[in-house]
Amino acid sequence: MDTLTAMRYQTAISSVLAYNVFLIKEILVDNSDLIERPFTVTLDHELDGVIFYIDGLSNNQLISQALLDPLIHKSLEQELLGGSRQQSIGTIEKILVTNPEVKIVKTVGEAIDNLLTGESIVVVEGLSKAFTMGTKGWEARMPSEPATELVVRGPRDSFTENMRTNTSLLRRRIKDPMLRLKTQKIGTRTKTAVTIAYLEDVANQRIVMDVQERLQSIKIDAVLESGYLEEMITDARHSPFVTMKTTERPDAAAAAILEGRVVIISDNTPFSLIVPSYFWDGFMASDDYYASYFLGTFSRIIRLIALVISLTLPSLYVLLVSFHQEMIPTQLALSMAAGRESVPFPVLVEVLLMEIAFELMREAGLRMPRPVGQAVSIVGSLIIGQAAVQAGLVSPIMVIIIAVTGIASFAIPSYATSFTIRFLRFPLLLASGMLGLLGFTAVLYVLTVHALSLQSFGEPYVAPIIPFRPSEQKDSLLRVPWWKMNTRPTFAKEKTRQPDPLDEQRKGQKSG
Amino acid sequence: MVTEMTTPILIALIINLIYAKAIGLTEGIAAREVGNDFWMATLMAILQGAVMMVITVLLIKQNAKEDLVQRAKSIVGPILGGLIGLLFVLYFAGAYAVVMITFVDHLRDYFLPELPTIVFVIVASLVALYAMQKGIVVTGRIAVVGVFSIILLNILLMIGTIEDFNIERLFPVFRTGIMATFLASRHADTDFAMASMMTGMILPYIAQKDKWIKATLTGVFYGGVLVMLWPILECGVLTAPETGHYIVACMQMARSAEIGWFVHRYEMIMVAFFAISLLVQLMMLLYCGVEAIAHTFTQKSSRLWLPITALFSMTSYLIVIDHRRTMQFLSVIWPPFSLAIAFLVIALLLVIGYVQKFIKQRQRFASMKKS
Repeated sequence: MDTLTAMRYQTAISSVLAYNVFLIKEILVDNSDLIERPFTVTLDHELDGVIFYIDGLSNNQLISQALLDPLIHKSLEQELLGGSRQQSIGTIEKILVTNPEVKIVKTVGEAIDNLLTGESIVVVEGLSKAFTMGTKGWEARMPSEPATELVVRGPRDSFTENMRTNTSLLRRRIKDPMLRLKTQKIGTRTKTAVTIAYLEDVANQRIVMDVQERLQSIKIDAVLESGYLEEMITDARHSPFVTMKTTERPDAAAAAILEGRVVIISDNTPFSLIVPSYFWDGFMASDDYYASYFLGTFSRIIRLIALVISLTLPSLYVLLVSFHQEMIPTQLALSMAAGRESVPFPVLVEVLLMEIAFELMREAGLRMPRPVGQAVSIVGSLIIGQAAVQAGLVSPIMVIIIAVTGIASFAIPSYATSFTIRFLRFPLLLASGMLGLLGFTAVLYVLTVHALSLQSFGEPYVAPIIPFRPSEQKDSLLRVPWWKMNTRPTFAKEKTRQPDPLDEQRKGQKSG
Repeated sequence: MVTEMTTPILIALIINLIYAKAIGLTEGIAAREVGNDFWMATLMAILQGAVMMVITVLLIKQNAKEDLVQRAKSIVGPILGGLIGLLFVLYFAGAYAVVMITFVDHLRDYFLPELPTIVFVIVASLVALYAMQKGIVVTGRIAVVGVFSIILLNILLMIGTIEDFNIERLFPVFRTGIMATFLASRHADTDFAMASMMTGMILPYIAQKDKWIKATLTGVFYGGVLVMLWPILECGVLTAPETGHYIVACMQMARSAEIGWFVHRYEMIMVAFFAISLLVQLMMLLYCGVEAIAHTFTQKSSRLWLPITALFSMTSYLIVIDHRRTMQFLSVIWPPFSLAIAFLVIALLLVIGYVQKFIKQRQRFASMKKS
């Protein structure tokens, strides 16, 4: 913003209508969607006014019904009493103020800020204040099935780009007066509304304060997606690990709030952030809680196996085939050797080629329109894979290794965690290919140290496994039945969730 | 930065510090010296290790805010205390070399014989440096992982070797005499000494002073139990003469273990599981070395990270490069040097500390009487 515009921005609303109109139009110059609608109200005196609104952001019908109609009706009903001009101005003010959606603003800047959020601005000749009218109304996507967190059993709605819709989705699930939704604007240009949602009596105030302080400290011109916020407030700025869980599922966000976490909802994106988050949260899916606890626990164990496979399988293959062949049972070693007989590349190059090809296919499948994307995946995986083996460019076992690794990475529910694991596979692969077991061990140790050194809003990232927190084991690698899930994570203020019915029964029997 | 740690982390660190060298290199050396009494020597070392640990904890308890170097300076004055501090630095450099020998010998001899030794030393030191830079709390947490992997390794080893285990190979005991077995226990003592010296350096950061003795003795006990399994299995499966033939006896043991057809050799499982313990040892010894020199010369420890890592790595490399030198260092030079510092110097400081305290109390009592 240049100095002149900044000066105009801070100017107080004048009682001269033409001056106010001039300032607003000068600041918002060359904006074809800025609608200026002059009107005249005839009371004892004829008074001119102007309504400003942004086409597409405001509801035209609402402006007519809630703003223009009362003014025009009043002027038609008004008997000429021979009052002063000042009295006429007072009457207009009264008409406008009786509308519950109306707020008074004193500066041009405030008026414009409200205008750009979809509200209408009314300026009237002789009044040194402007009125903002809640007339927001634009086309919005309805909650649909989440694209990134599919479940077999569970709700099918998801957050949308409209923050108010998102907060209402939370309110519909948590009908608790202690649910707090605090909103602030972030981004000097985008002024994006960001809401933090938490339960006052359950969430740890330290964490709530921490979230608020970090959000308030953000100095950025634009926030177009919650990813901006995530990078600005994360504990691990230079880490591939994701210390804040993202979700587009209202049920997952509500569950997090009920556990004592804080959910950060940003306008214009369906992805909200959950803090604090543990590393293991990336391996938990909403299904785990809706299906039987046996199934939930089994699924989690499968996902942990997927983690190990996804991270280490290619590296283990490379180090075994390149450096430590004696560790492979003879029969298996012979099969591997037979498969690799015609392959002209070293194992490391072969794996890297296949991994890069796989990532290319995944990326292409993601970016292409859905039907084409599926075709790319099928062509890539079946035809190219088969052709590469027949051409002797890669060994059959390599195709199996890469395919299993790829499938394992897709079994991880959190896309961000899955991406992290896929990314970390490469340094591990390079180290294993160059230094064998030494490289593999060293990189794995460094990654472990790094993960252990991370925190998410004051909570150790790899908790509750390390440091080991016995009370939180009910919902970590295992998922105990709901009647036993009676405690919240240790960071929550209110740690007891519900009494254990069996304990209650025992107590009852004792007292009886 | 002073960071408070919990007693379970201290226990985990002690177990890790005792374990890695004790299960292989130490047993091989002891087996060469006293035959199948080497498992008895390890058993004796647990008791001696407990005594060393108690002495160290009592010394630090005299002033819970000071580590070994600071205690030495407080007790015998800054000049003599500084010299003792330098002695401690030498100790940690030697201990670092000992662990580096264990690390290099496992990986070089059994997995990567063609890789230059310097690569092993550099990689291990860089990893230790990275961990040290993240702080001892992080290493403490890794030590917890290390304990789990140690337990898992022990269970796997038991399953894989139980078929070939013959208890008769453990007997008769004290064939070489009680005294010779006791003397042979000095090799295992050096492993427990590493744990007690490390404890002396980090104890001021451990919360709950009243639980120090219990926690450290728990660490020594569990560490000892986890180590004890190895000499018993090595003696009962490999036999003592066979154990004595190998520098890294535990790897030979792992090679002998198998579960079915597909898990036919354990070397890789072994390294995968106990590498954590080894790297925790390296990191902690590096940390203790840096702290010791920083407190000796009253310097900021972060400035010393790189030079001390380089110094320790170079010393280790010069020893580990040659097998003969390695064995000479491990079996002849290290035990007396290590025990002289970890036991004698610490015990001496403890006694002087108590005498000083006694004299001060007498003086205070006398002055109170006069007034």
